Amino acid sequence: MIRTRNLWITVLLLWSLAPLLWQLYTSFCSNESLIHTFATHQHRWTLENYRQVLTANPPFWRYLLNSAFVGISSTGLTLLLAIPAAYSLVKVPRNFARGARLFLLGAALFPYVLLFLALLEIARSLNLGNNLLALSFPYAALSMPLAVLLLSSAFRDLPSEIEEAARLEGLGLWQRLRWVLIPLIGPATASTAILVFLFSWNEYPIALTWISTTDLLTLPVAIARIAGSSVYSIPYGAYAAATVLGSLPLLLLVIIFQRQIVSGLTQGAIKG
Amino acid sequence: MSLILENIGRRVGRNWIVRHLQLEVAEGECLALLGPSGCGKSSTLRLIAGLDQADEGTIFIKGKDVTTVSPVDRRIGMVFQSYALFPHLTVAENLALGLRVRKFSATDQQKRVASILNLMQLEDHARQRPAQLSGGQRQRVALARALLRDPLVYLLDEPMSNLDAQLREDLRPELRRLILKDGQPVVYVTHDQHEAMAMAHRIGVMRDGQLEQVGSPQELYHQPTSTFVASFIGRPQINLLPAESGIIKAIRPEDLKLSSQGLPCRLIHREWLGTSQLWLLESPRGQLRMLTAGDTSIPANIQLEWSTKKEHLFDANSGLRSKYPTS
Repeated sequence: MIRTRNLWITVLLLWSLAPLLWQLYTSFCSNESLIHTFATHQHRWTLENYRQVLTANPPFWRYLLNSAFVGISSTGLTLLLAIPAAYSLVKVPRNFARGARLFLLGAALFPYVLLFLALLEIARSLNLGNNLLALSFPYAALSMPLAVLLLSSAFRDLPSEIEEAARLEGLGLWQRLRWVLIPLIGPATASTAILVFLFSWNEYPIALTWISTTDLLTLPVAIARIAGSSVYSIPYGAYAAATVLGSLPLLLLVIIFQRQIVSGLTQGAIKG
Repeated sequence: MSLILENIGRRVGRNWIVRHLQLEVAEGECLALLGPSGCGKSSTLRLIAGLDQADEGTIFIKGKDVTTVSPVDRRIGMVFQSYALFPHLTVAENLALGLRVRKFSATDQQKRVASILNLMQLEDHARQRPAQLSGGQRQRVALARALLRDPLVYLLDEPMSNLDAQLREDLRPELRRLILKDGQPVVYVTHDQHEAMAMAHRIGVMRDGQLEQVGSPQELYHQPTSTFVASFIGRPQINLLPAESGIIKAIRPEDLKLSSQGLPCRLIHREWLGTSQLWLLESPRGQLRMLTAGDTSIPANIQLEWSTKKEHLFDANSGLRSKYPTS
Protein backbone atom coordinates (compact mmCIF):
# COMPACT_ATOMS: atom_id res chain seq x y z
CA MET A 1 0.00 0.00 0.00
CA ILE A 2 2.62 2.48 1.14
CA ARG A 3 4.92 1.47 -1.69
CA THR A 4 2.27 2.06 -4.35
CA ARG A 5 1.42 5.36 -2.72
CA ASN A 6 5.04 6.44 -2.80
CA LEU A 7 5.22 5.39 -6.42
CA TRP A 8 2.22 7.57 -7.24
CA ILE A 9 3.73 10.52 -5.41
CA THR A 10 6.97 10.09 -7.33
CA VAL A 11 5.13 9.96 -10.65
CA LEU A 12 3.12 13.07 -9.79
CA LEU A 13 6.20 14.95 -8.64
CA LEU A 14 8.07 14.06 -11.80
CA TRP A 15 5.06 15.04 -13.88
CA SER A 16 4.81 18.49 -12.35
CA LEU A 17 8.49 19.16 -11.68
CA ALA A 18 9.96 17.85 -14.94
CA PRO A 19 9.50 21.09 -16.92
CA LEU A 20 11.02 23.09 -14.08
CA LEU A 21 13.96 20.73 -13.73
CA TRP A 22 14.48 20.85 -17.49
CA GLN A 23 14.47 24.62 -17.35
CA LEU A 24 17.00 24.56 -14.51
CA TYR A 25 19.20 22.18 -16.50
CA THR A 26 18.94 24.29 -19.63
CA SER A 27 19.90 27.45 -17.78
CA PHE A 28 23.28 25.98 -16.90
CA CYS A 29 24.05 24.72 -20.40
CA SER A 30 26.00 26.64 -22.99
CA ASN A 31 24.09 27.49 -26.12
CA GLU A 32 26.35 25.31 -28.29
CA SER A 33 25.70 22.23 -26.21
CA LEU A 34 21.97 22.89 -26.38
CA ILE A 35 21.96 22.94 -30.14
CA HIS A 36 24.32 20.00 -30.68
CA THR A 37 22.94 17.76 -28.00
CA PHE A 38 24.98 14.66 -28.81
CA ALA A 39 28.26 16.29 -29.67
CA THR A 40 30.82 16.01 -26.92
CA HIS A 41 31.65 19.48 -25.84
CA GLN A 42 34.23 20.83 -23.50
CA HIS A 43 32.23 23.73 -22.16
CA ARG A 44 28.93 22.10 -21.51
CA TRP A 45 28.29 23.59 -18.06
CA THR A 46 28.31 27.36 -17.81
CA LEU A 47 27.06 30.34 -15.82
CA GLU A 48 27.25 32.46 -18.95
CA ASN A 49 23.44 32.58 -19.31
CA TYR A 50 23.02 34.07 -15.85
CA ARG A 51 25.83 36.55 -16.45
CA GLN A 52 24.21 37.60 -19.68
CA VAL A 53 20.77 38.11 -18.09
CA LEU A 54 22.04 39.90 -14.99
CA THR A 55 24.36 42.27 -16.84
CA ALA A 56 21.96 43.24 -19.60
CA ASN A 57 20.69 46.81 -19.69
CA PRO A 58 18.65 47.20 -17.53
CA PRO A 59 19.85 44.26 -15.39
CA PHE A 60 17.37 41.53 -14.71
CA TRP A 61 16.88 42.30 -11.01
CA ARG A 62 15.23 45.53 -12.15
CA TYR A 63 12.32 43.46 -13.54
CA LEU A 64 12.20 41.43 -10.35
CA LEU A 65 11.84 44.62 -8.37
CA ASN A 66 9.14 45.92 -10.72
CA SER A 67 7.15 42.72 -10.40
CA ALA A 68 7.60 42.62 -6.65
CA PHE A 69 6.37 46.19 -6.39
CA VAL A 70 3.31 45.49 -8.52
CA GLY A 71 2.68 42.22 -6.66
CA ILE A 72 2.84 43.80 -3.22
CA SER A 73 0.68 46.77 -4.12
CA SER A 74 -1.95 44.61 -5.86
CA THR A 75 -2.03 42.20 -2.93
CA GLY A 76 -2.28 45.03 -0.41
CA LEU A 77 -5.03 46.76 -2.35
CA THR A 78 -6.96 43.51 -2.82
CA LEU A 79 -6.85 42.58 0.86
CA LEU A 80 -7.73 46.11 1.91
CA LEU A 81 -10.92 45.93 -0.14
CA ALA A 82 -11.68 42.21 0.08
CA ILE A 83 -11.55 41.80 3.87
CA PRO A 84 -14.34 44.30 4.66
CA ALA A 85 -16.34 43.02 1.67
CA ALA A 86 -15.96 39.42 2.82
CA TYR A 87 -16.95 40.29 6.38
CA SER A 88 -20.07 42.13 5.30
CA LEU A 89 -21.02 39.25 3.02
CA VAL A 90 -21.39 37.12 6.15
CA LYS A 91 -23.58 39.72 7.86
CA VAL A 92 -26.07 40.56 5.10
CA PRO A 93 -29.35 38.59 4.76
CA ARG A 94 -28.77 35.04 3.64
CA ASN A 95 -30.56 35.23 0.29
CA PHE A 96 -28.73 38.36 -0.73
CA ALA A 97 -25.41 36.78 0.26
CA ARG A 98 -26.21 33.68 -1.79
CA GLY A 99 -26.94 35.82 -4.85
CA ALA A 100 -23.80 37.87 -4.31
CA ARG A 101 -21.70 34.71 -4.01
CA LEU A 102 -23.04 33.34 -7.31
CA PHE A 103 -22.31 36.68 -8.94
CA LEU A 104 -18.76 36.69 -7.56
CA LEU A 105 -18.22 33.13 -8.70
CA GLY A 106 -19.31 34.13 -12.21
CA ALA A 107 -16.89 37.05 -12.13
CA ALA A 108 -14.08 34.84 -10.85
CA LEU A 109 -14.62 32.34 -13.67
CA PHE A 110 -14.83 35.00 -16.39
CA PRO A 111 -11.84 34.80 -18.80
CA TYR A 112 -10.22 38.14 -18.09
CA VAL A 113 -8.27 38.13 -21.35
CA LEU A 114 -11.51 39.25 -23.01
CA LEU A 115 -11.29 42.43 -20.97
CA PHE A 116 -7.81 43.57 -21.80
CA LEU A 117 -8.66 45.68 -24.84
CA ALA A 118 -11.32 47.53 -22.88
CA LEU A 119 -8.89 47.94 -20.00
CA LEU A 120 -6.32 49.33 -22.39
CA GLU A 121 -8.83 51.95 -23.54
CA ILE A 122 -9.47 52.90 -19.94
CA ALA A 123 -5.75 53.10 -19.22
CA ARG A 124 -5.25 55.32 -22.26
CA SER A 125 -8.08 57.71 -21.42
CA LEU A 126 -7.05 57.96 -17.75
CA ASN A 127 -3.38 58.21 -18.69
CA LEU A 128 -2.44 55.17 -16.63
CA GLY A 129 0.05 53.72 -19.10
CA ASN A 130 3.68 53.15 -18.06
CA ASN A 131 2.81 53.39 -14.38
CA LEU A 132 3.56 50.39 -12.18
CA LEU A 133 1.23 51.43 -9.37
CA ALA A 134 -1.62 51.83 -11.85
CA LEU A 135 -1.08 48.24 -12.95
CA SER A 136 -2.23 47.09 -9.52
CA PHE A 137 -5.73 48.53 -10.11
CA PRO A 138 -6.76 45.99 -12.77
CA TYR A 139 -4.88 43.26 -10.89
CA ALA A 140 -6.71 43.99 -7.64
CA ALA A 141 -10.02 44.28 -9.47
CA LEU A 142 -9.53 40.96 -11.24
CA SER A 143 -8.47 39.23 -8.01
CA MET A 144 -11.31 40.62 -5.91
CA PRO A 145 -14.03 38.03 -6.69
CA LEU A 146 -11.92 35.04 -5.70
CA ALA A 147 -10.40 36.86 -2.72
CA VAL A 148 -13.82 37.85 -1.38
CA LEU A 149 -15.15 34.30 -1.80
CA LEU A 150 -12.17 32.74 0.00
CA LEU A 151 -12.13 35.25 2.84
CA SER A 152 -15.87 35.25 3.38
CA SER A 153 -15.92 31.49 3.79
CA ALA A 154 -13.14 31.92 6.36
CA PHE A 155 -15.24 34.51 8.22
CA ARG A 156 -18.27 32.26 7.99
CA ASP A 157 -16.37 29.36 9.57
CA LEU A 158 -15.50 31.41 12.66
CA PRO A 159 -17.81 30.58 15.56
CA SER A 160 -20.19 33.54 15.92
CA GLU A 161 -19.89 33.40 19.72
CA ILE A 162 -16.31 34.67 19.54
CA GLU A 163 -17.40 37.86 17.84
CA GLU A 164 -20.36 38.18 20.21
CA ALA A 165 -18.05 37.84 23.20
CA ALA A 166 -15.93 40.62 21.73
CA ARG A 167 -19.04 42.78 21.31
CA LEU A 168 -19.97 42.26 24.94
CA GLU A 169 -16.41 43.17 25.91
CA GLY A 170 -16.97 46.55 24.28
CA LEU A 171 -15.05 46.12 21.03
CA GLY A 172 -16.46 48.18 18.18
CA LEU A 173 -16.62 46.93 14.60
CA TRP A 174 -13.09 47.97 13.64
CA GLN A 175 -11.64 46.80 16.93
CA ARG A 176 -13.29 43.42 16.47
CA LEU A 177 -11.83 43.12 12.98
CA ARG A 178 -8.42 44.35 14.03
CA TRP A 179 -7.96 42.46 17.30
CA VAL A 180 -10.06 39.34 16.92
CA LEU A 181 -11.40 38.48 13.47
CA ILE A 182 -8.51 39.26 11.14
CA PRO A 183 -5.94 37.49 13.33
CA LEU A 184 -8.23 34.47 13.37
CA ILE A 185 -8.55 34.27 9.60
CA GLY A 186 -4.77 34.64 9.25
CA PRO A 187 -4.23 31.36 7.41
CA ALA A 188 -6.97 32.12 4.87
CA THR A 189 -5.60 35.63 4.43
CA ALA A 190 -2.10 34.28 3.80
CA SER A 191 -3.26 31.84 1.14
CA THR A 192 -5.45 34.46 -0.51
CA ALA A 193 -2.54 36.90 -0.54
CA ILE A 194 -0.30 34.32 -2.20
CA LEU A 195 -2.90 33.63 -4.90
CA VAL A 196 -3.24 37.34 -5.66
CA PHE A 197 0.52 37.83 -5.67
CA LEU A 198 0.93 34.84 -7.98
CA PHE A 199 -1.63 36.21 -10.40
CA SER A 200 0.05 39.59 -10.57
CA TRP A 201 3.50 37.98 -10.84
CA ASN A 202 2.46 35.89 -13.84
CA GLU A 203 0.04 38.25 -15.59
CA TYR A 204 1.01 38.93 -19.22
CA PRO A 205 -1.53 40.61 -21.56
CA ILE A 206 -2.33 43.63 -19.40
CA ALA A 207 1.29 44.18 -18.42
CA LEU A 208 2.30 43.89 -22.09
CA THR A 209 -0.17 46.52 -23.25
CA TRP A 210 0.01 48.97 -20.33
CA ILE A 211 3.79 49.15 -20.03
CA SER A 212 6.13 50.02 -22.87
CA THR A 213 9.10 51.65 -21.13
CA THR A 214 11.86 49.05 -20.84
CA ASP A 215 12.77 50.09 -17.30
CA LEU A 216 9.22 49.44 -16.06
CA LEU A 217 8.58 46.02 -17.59
CA THR A 218 7.32 43.27 -15.33
CA LEU A 219 8.86 39.79 -15.37
CA PRO A 220 6.65 37.92 -17.86
CA VAL A 221 6.98 40.67 -20.46
CA ALA A 222 10.70 41.03 -19.85
CA ILE A 223 11.26 37.29 -20.19
CA ALA A 224 9.26 37.23 -23.40
CA ARG A 225 11.46 40.02 -24.73
CA ILE A 226 14.58 38.02 -24.00
CA ALA A 227 13.14 35.08 -25.93
CA GLY A 228 12.33 37.27 -28.89
CA SER A 229 15.41 39.47 -28.78
CA SER A 230 17.06 38.05 -31.88
CA VAL A 231 15.53 37.26 -35.25
CA TYR A 232 18.12 34.61 -36.08
CA SER A 233 18.26 32.44 -32.97
CA ILE A 234 16.36 31.80 -29.79
CA PRO A 235 18.58 32.31 -26.73
CA TYR A 236 17.30 29.23 -24.92
CA GLY A 237 19.94 29.44 -22.21
CA ALA A 238 19.30 33.06 -21.28
CA TYR A 239 15.58 32.50 -21.46
CA ALA A 240 15.82 29.55 -19.07
CA ALA A 241 18.05 31.50 -16.68
CA ALA A 242 15.49 34.33 -16.61
CA THR A 243 12.66 31.90 -15.83
CA VAL A 244 14.62 30.32 -13.02
CA LEU A 245 15.40 33.71 -11.51
CA GLY A 246 11.74 34.69 -11.87
CA SER A 247 10.53 31.59 -10.02
CA LEU A 248 12.89 31.85 -7.06
CA PRO A 249 11.01 34.63 -5.20
CA LEU A 250 7.75 32.70 -5.46
CA LEU A 251 9.41 29.58 -4.12
CA LEU A 252 10.77 31.59 -1.21
CA LEU A 253 7.37 33.13 -0.52
CA VAL A 254 5.62 29.78 -0.36
CA ILE A 255 8.31 28.34 1.91
CA ILE A 256 8.00 31.29 4.31
CA PHE A 257 4.20 31.22 4.48
CA GLN A 258 3.78 27.46 4.39
CA ARG A 259 3.34 27.14 8.14
CA GLN A 260 0.93 30.08 8.25
CA ILE A 261 -1.23 28.50 5.58
CA VAL A 262 -1.33 25.09 7.17
CA SER A 263 -1.70 25.99 10.84
CA GLY A 264 -5.23 25.92 12.16
CA LEU A 265 -5.36 28.89 14.47
CA THR A 266 -8.98 28.45 15.45
CA GLN A 267 -8.26 25.17 17.20
CA GLY A 268 -9.37 25.25 20.81
CA ALA A 269 -11.66 28.24 20.39
CA ILE A 270 -14.63 26.01 20.93
CA LYS A 271 -14.70 22.87 23.01
CA GLY A 272 -12.06 20.45 22.11
CA MET B 1 -36.10 44.14 41.08
CA SER B 2 -32.87 44.49 39.29
CA LEU B 3 -33.57 42.73 36.01
CA ILE B 4 -37.07 42.88 34.59
CA LEU B 5 -38.36 41.42 31.33
CA GLU B 6 -41.77 42.72 30.40
CA ASN B 7 -43.77 40.80 27.83
CA ILE B 8 -40.62 40.10 25.80
CA GLY B 9 -40.96 38.52 22.37
CA ARG B 10 -38.69 37.72 19.47
CA ARG B 11 -39.73 36.63 16.04
CA VAL B 12 -37.72 34.91 13.34
CA GLY B 13 -39.66 35.13 10.11
CA ARG B 14 -43.19 34.28 11.17
CA ASN B 15 -42.18 32.16 14.14
CA TRP B 16 -42.12 33.56 17.63
CA ILE B 17 -39.12 31.88 19.24
CA VAL B 18 -39.80 33.71 22.52
CA ARG B 19 -43.13 35.24 23.40
CA HIS B 20 -44.99 36.88 26.29
CA LEU B 21 -42.02 36.42 28.56
CA GLN B 22 -42.50 37.97 31.96
CA LEU B 23 -39.60 37.66 34.35
CA GLU B 24 -38.04 39.42 37.30
CA VAL B 25 -34.71 38.64 38.91
CA ALA B 26 -33.70 40.27 42.19
CA GLU B 27 -30.21 41.40 43.19
CA GLY B 28 -28.10 38.51 44.34
CA GLU B 29 -30.61 36.03 43.00
CA CYS B 30 -29.78 33.20 40.62
CA LEU B 31 -32.60 32.28 38.29
CA ALA B 32 -32.22 29.21 36.12
CA LEU B 33 -33.98 28.94 32.78
CA LEU B 34 -34.66 25.27 32.25
CA GLY B 35 -36.18 23.51 29.29
CA PRO B 36 -35.60 21.10 26.42
CA SER B 37 -33.42 22.26 23.54
CA GLY B 38 -35.16 24.71 21.24
CA CYS B 39 -37.47 26.00 23.98
CA GLY B 40 -36.10 29.54 23.68
CA LYS B 41 -33.98 29.71 26.83
CA SER B 42 -30.75 30.64 25.04
CA SER B 43 -32.69 33.08 22.85
CA THR B 44 -33.98 34.74 25.99
CA LEU B 45 -30.42 35.12 27.24
CA ARG B 46 -29.33 36.68 23.95
CA LEU B 47 -32.20 39.16 24.22
CA ILE B 48 -31.12 40.18 27.70
CA ALA B 49 -27.52 40.54 26.50
CA GLY B 50 -28.61 42.64 23.53
CA LEU B 51 -27.04 40.27 21.02
CA ASP B 52 -30.51 40.02 19.48
CA GLN B 53 -33.17 42.70 19.45
CA ALA B 54 -36.56 42.06 21.05
CA ASP B 55 -39.49 42.46 18.63
CA GLU B 56 -41.84 43.31 21.45
CA GLY B 57 -41.68 44.10 25.14
CA THR B 58 -39.29 45.98 27.37
CA ILE B 59 -36.13 45.04 29.29
CA PHE B 60 -35.11 46.92 32.43
CA ILE B 61 -31.72 46.63 34.11
CA LYS B 62 -31.48 48.43 37.47
CA GLY B 63 -34.60 50.41 36.64
CA LYS B 64 -33.28 51.63 33.30
CA ASP B 65 -34.99 50.71 30.03
CA VAL B 66 -32.25 49.01 27.98
CA THR B 67 -34.43 47.46 25.26
CA THR B 68 -32.64 49.34 22.48
CA VAL B 69 -29.32 49.88 24.26
CA SER B 70 -26.22 48.29 22.69
CA PRO B 71 -24.73 45.17 24.36
CA VAL B 72 -21.67 47.09 25.60
CA ASP B 73 -23.69 49.68 27.46
CA ARG B 74 -25.88 47.08 29.13
CA ARG B 75 -22.79 45.93 31.05
CA ILE B 76 -23.39 42.22 30.76
CA GLY B 77 -21.06 39.54 32.08
CA MET B 78 -21.71 36.53 29.91
CA VAL B 79 -20.27 33.03 29.89
CA PHE B 80 -20.95 31.21 26.64
CA GLN B 81 -21.50 27.49 26.33
CA SER B 82 -18.38 27.27 24.14
CA TYR B 83 -16.62 29.83 26.43
CA ALA B 84 -15.82 31.81 23.24
CA LEU B 85 -12.30 32.66 24.37
CA PHE B 86 -10.11 34.43 21.83
CA PRO B 87 -7.98 31.50 20.63
CA HIS B 88 -5.07 33.60 19.30
CA LEU B 89 -4.50 35.40 22.61
CA THR B 90 -2.97 34.17 25.85
CA VAL B 91 -5.11 33.93 28.97
CA ALA B 92 -3.80 37.27 30.25
CA GLU B 93 -4.37 38.92 26.87
CA ASN B 94 -7.87 37.47 26.71
CA LEU B 95 -8.67 39.15 30.00
CA ALA B 96 -6.91 42.43 29.21
CA LEU B 97 -8.43 43.01 25.75
CA GLY B 98 -11.77 44.24 27.06
CA LEU B 99 -10.10 46.44 29.68
CA ARG B 100 -7.90 47.98 27.03
CA VAL B 101 -10.73 48.91 24.69
CA ARG B 102 -12.69 50.24 27.67
CA LYS B 103 -9.78 52.64 28.21
CA PHE B 104 -8.30 51.38 31.45
CA SER B 105 -4.75 52.56 32.02
CA ALA B 106 -1.95 50.05 31.45
CA THR B 107 -1.15 49.73 35.16
CA ASP B 108 -4.82 49.40 36.00
CA GLN B 109 -5.20 46.64 33.41
CA GLN B 110 -2.26 44.74 34.86
CA LYS B 111 -3.51 45.08 38.40
CA ARG B 112 -7.02 43.89 37.60
CA VAL B 113 -5.87 40.99 35.46
CA ALA B 114 -3.40 39.91 38.12
CA SER B 115 -5.98 39.98 40.89
CA ILE B 116 -8.58 38.07 38.88
CA LEU B 117 -5.97 35.46 37.86
CA ASN B 118 -5.21 35.10 41.54
CA LEU B 119 -8.89 34.79 42.48
CA MET B 120 -9.45 32.11 39.83
CA GLN B 121 -6.15 30.35 40.58
CA LEU B 122 -5.03 30.80 37.00
CA GLU B 123 -1.67 32.53 37.64
CA ASP B 124 0.30 29.60 36.26
CA HIS B 125 -1.62 29.72 33.00
CA ALA B 126 -1.44 33.44 32.26
CA ARG B 127 0.86 32.95 29.30
CA GLN B 128 -0.91 29.94 27.84
CA ARG B 129 -3.38 29.94 24.95
CA PRO B 130 -6.89 28.57 25.42
CA ALA B 131 -6.04 25.47 23.36
CA GLN B 132 -3.46 24.48 25.99
CA LEU B 133 -5.98 24.59 28.85
CA SER B 134 -8.31 21.92 30.18
CA GLY B 135 -12.08 22.36 29.96
CA GLY B 136 -12.35 23.45 33.58
CA GLN B 137 -9.56 25.99 33.18
CA ARG B 138 -11.18 27.43 30.06
CA GLN B 139 -14.41 27.81 31.93
CA ARG B 140 -12.59 29.69 34.69
CA VAL B 141 -11.01 32.02 32.14
CA ALA B 142 -14.42 32.69 30.61
CA LEU B 143 -15.83 33.39 34.05
CA ALA B 144 -12.87 35.63 34.89
CA ARG B 145 -13.56 37.64 31.75
CA ALA B 146 -17.19 38.04 32.79
CA LEU B 147 -16.19 39.11 36.31
CA LEU B 148 -13.70 41.68 34.97
CA ARG B 149 -16.55 43.21 33.02
CA ASP B 150 -17.85 44.52 36.36
CA PRO B 151 -21.34 43.68 35.12
CA LEU B 152 -24.82 44.67 36.23
CA VAL B 153 -26.18 41.27 35.22
CA TYR B 154 -24.55 37.86 34.83
CA LEU B 155 -25.72 35.60 32.04
CA LEU B 156 -24.50 32.01 31.90
CA ASP B 157 -25.37 29.86 28.91
CA GLU B 158 -24.90 26.18 29.77
CA PRO B 159 -21.53 26.95 31.36
CA MET B 160 -21.06 23.36 32.54
CA SER B 161 -22.21 21.35 29.57
CA ASN B 162 -18.72 20.92 28.11
CA LEU B 163 -17.33 19.48 31.33
CA ASP B 164 -17.45 15.89 32.48
CA ALA B 165 -19.99 14.93 35.11
CA GLN B 166 -17.58 14.70 38.06
CA LEU B 167 -15.99 18.07 37.38
CA ARG B 168 -19.43 19.61 36.95
CA GLU B 169 -20.48 18.58 40.45
CA ASP B 170 -17.16 19.72 41.92
CA LEU B 171 -17.38 23.14 40.31
CA ARG B 172 -20.99 23.97 41.20
CA PRO B 173 -20.43 25.44 44.69
CA GLU B 174 -17.41 27.43 43.50
CA LEU B 175 -19.24 28.83 40.49
CA ARG B 176 -22.24 29.73 42.62
CA ARG B 177 -20.06 31.53 45.13
CA LEU B 178 -18.22 33.53 42.45
CA ILE B 179 -21.22 34.70 40.47
CA LEU B 180 -23.23 35.63 43.54
CA LYS B 181 -20.44 37.36 45.41
CA ASP B 182 -21.08 40.87 44.11
CA GLY B 183 -24.82 40.61 44.56
CA GLN B 184 -25.91 41.01 40.94
CA PRO B 185 -28.80 39.15 39.35
CA VAL B 186 -27.78 35.96 37.57
CA VAL B 187 -29.63 34.19 34.77
CA TYR B 188 -28.40 30.65 34.30
CA VAL B 189 -29.49 28.64 31.27
CA THR B 190 -29.35 24.89 31.46
CA HIS B 191 -31.16 21.81 30.22
CA ASP B 192 -30.05 19.83 33.27
CA GLN B 193 -32.61 19.95 36.08
CA HIS B 194 -30.12 18.77 38.70
CA GLU B 195 -27.84 21.63 37.83
CA ALA B 196 -30.74 24.08 37.89
CA MET B 197 -31.81 22.87 41.31
CA ALA B 198 -28.25 23.00 42.64
CA MET B 199 -27.44 26.45 41.32
CA ALA B 200 -30.62 28.49 41.36
CA HIS B 201 -32.86 30.13 43.92
CA ARG B 202 -35.70 30.00 41.44
CA ILE B 203 -36.23 28.06 38.25
CA GLY B 204 -38.18 29.13 35.18
CA VAL B 205 -39.31 26.19 33.08
CA MET B 206 -39.62 27.13 29.40
CA ARG B 207 -41.51 25.42 26.62
CA ASP B 208 -42.00 26.56 23.01
CA GLY B 209 -40.75 30.06 23.71
CA GLN B 210 -42.96 30.64 26.71
CA LEU B 211 -42.40 30.45 30.44
CA GLU B 212 -44.42 27.53 31.72
CA GLN B 213 -43.82 28.06 35.44
CA VAL B 214 -41.46 30.03 37.64
CA GLY B 215 -40.81 29.04 41.23
CA SER B 216 -38.41 27.62 43.76
CA PRO B 217 -37.18 24.07 43.10
CA GLN B 218 -39.50 22.86 45.88
CA GLU B 219 -42.54 24.58 44.36
CA LEU B 220 -41.83 23.14 40.95
CA TYR B 221 -41.46 19.70 42.42
CA HIS B 222 -44.44 19.70 44.76
CA GLN B 223 -46.85 21.98 42.90
CA PRO B 224 -46.20 21.72 39.19
CA THR B 225 -48.77 23.81 37.32
CA SER B 226 -48.85 21.59 34.26
CA THR B 227 -48.15 18.03 33.14
CA PHE B 228 -45.15 19.41 31.21
CA VAL B 229 -43.50 20.81 34.34
CA ALA B 230 -44.50 17.74 36.33
CA SER B 231 -42.78 15.40 33.91
CA PHE B 232 -39.81 17.72 33.29
CA ILE B 233 -38.92 18.19 36.96
CA GLY B 234 -38.01 15.17 39.07
CA ARG B 235 -36.16 12.01 38.15
CA PRO B 236 -37.26 9.30 37.79
CA GLN B 237 -40.10 10.89 35.87
CA ILE B 238 -43.55 11.31 37.39
CA ASN B 239 -46.21 8.71 36.46
CA LEU B 240 -49.02 10.19 34.38
CA LEU B 241 -52.05 7.89 34.57
CA PRO B 242 -54.42 7.70 31.58
CA ALA B 243 -57.10 10.41 31.67
CA GLU B 244 -60.38 9.52 33.36
CA SER B 245 -63.38 11.85 32.93
CA GLY B 246 -61.18 14.71 31.77
CA ILE B 247 -58.71 14.45 34.63
CA ILE B 248 -55.10 13.22 34.49
CA LYS B 249 -53.77 11.86 37.76
CA ALA B 250 -50.03 12.04 38.29
CA ILE B 251 -48.05 10.37 41.03
CA ARG B 252 -44.35 10.55 41.83
CA PRO B 253 -42.43 7.25 41.71
CA GLU B 254 -41.41 7.57 45.38
CA ASP B 255 -45.06 7.96 46.47
CA LEU B 256 -46.03 4.51 45.19
CA LYS B 257 -46.16 1.90 47.99
CA LEU B 258 -46.39 -1.87 48.00
CA SER B 259 -49.60 -3.18 49.51
CA SER B 260 -51.61 -6.38 49.88
CA GLN B 261 -54.67 -5.21 47.95
CA GLY B 262 -53.97 -2.53 45.34
CA LEU B 263 -53.22 -2.15 41.67
CA PRO B 264 -51.80 -5.47 40.42
CA CYS B 265 -48.50 -5.06 38.54
CA ARG B 266 -45.85 -7.06 36.75
CA LEU B 267 -42.15 -6.16 36.99
CA ILE B 268 -40.55 -5.43 33.61
CA HIS B 269 -37.19 -4.01 34.59
CA ARG B 270 -35.21 -3.12 37.69
CA GLU B 271 -32.43 -0.54 38.05
CA TRP B 272 -30.13 -0.28 41.04
CA LEU B 273 -29.50 3.30 42.09
CA GLY B 274 -27.48 2.53 45.22
CA THR B 275 -29.60 3.59 48.21
CA SER B 276 -32.74 3.06 46.18
CA GLN B 277 -33.95 1.07 43.23
CA LEU B 278 -36.22 1.88 40.33
CA TRP B 279 -38.84 -0.62 39.25
CA LEU B 280 -40.48 -0.36 35.87
CA LEU B 281 -43.90 -1.97 36.20
CA GLU B 282 -46.68 -2.97 33.82
CA SER B 283 -50.14 -2.31 35.24
CA PRO B 284 -53.74 -2.15 33.93
CA ARG B 285 -53.30 1.63 34.01
CA GLY B 286 -50.18 1.72 31.93
CA GLN B 287 -46.48 1.57 32.73
CA LEU B 288 -45.46 2.83 36.16
CA ARG B 289 -42.13 3.85 37.61
CA MET B 290 -41.68 3.11 41.28
CA LEU B 291 -38.83 4.20 43.52
CA THR B 292 -38.23 1.99 46.51
CA ALA B 293 -35.57 1.41 49.13
CA GLY B 294 -32.43 -0.37 47.98
CA ASP B 295 -33.06 -3.41 50.16
CA THR B 296 -36.68 -4.04 49.14
CA SER B 297 -37.09 -7.56 47.82
CA ILE B 298 -39.49 -8.27 45.00
CA PRO B 299 -42.70 -9.88 46.28
CA ALA B 300 -44.31 -12.72 44.36
CA ASN B 301 -47.42 -10.63 43.83
CA ILE B 302 -46.78 -6.95 43.26
CA GLN B 303 -49.70 -4.71 44.20
CA LEU B 304 -49.44 -0.93 44.49
CA GLU B 305 -51.31 1.78 46.35
CA TRP B 306 -50.77 5.47 47.04
CA SER B 307 -52.25 8.19 49.15
CA THR B 308 -54.72 10.43 47.31
CA LYS B 309 -53.02 13.35 49.08
CA LYS B 310 -49.97 12.67 46.93
CA GLU B 311 -51.89 12.80 43.67
CA HIS B 312 -51.37 15.71 41.29
CA LEU B 313 -54.47 16.41 39.22
CA PHE B 314 -54.37 17.99 35.77
CA ASP B 315 -56.98 18.89 33.21
CA ALA B 316 -56.70 16.36 30.37
CA ASN B 317 -57.28 18.93 27.61
CA SER B 318 -55.08 21.83 28.69
CA GLY B 319 -52.57 19.85 30.75
CA LEU B 320 -52.91 22.52 33.47
CA ARG B 321 -53.24 21.80 37.17
CA SER B 322 -56.89 21.23 37.93
CA LYS B 323 -58.71 23.07 40.71
CA TYR B 324 -61.26 20.27 41.17
CA PRO B 325 -61.26 18.42 44.47
CA THR B 326 -60.28 14.77 44.41
CA SER B 327 -63.22 12.61 43.37
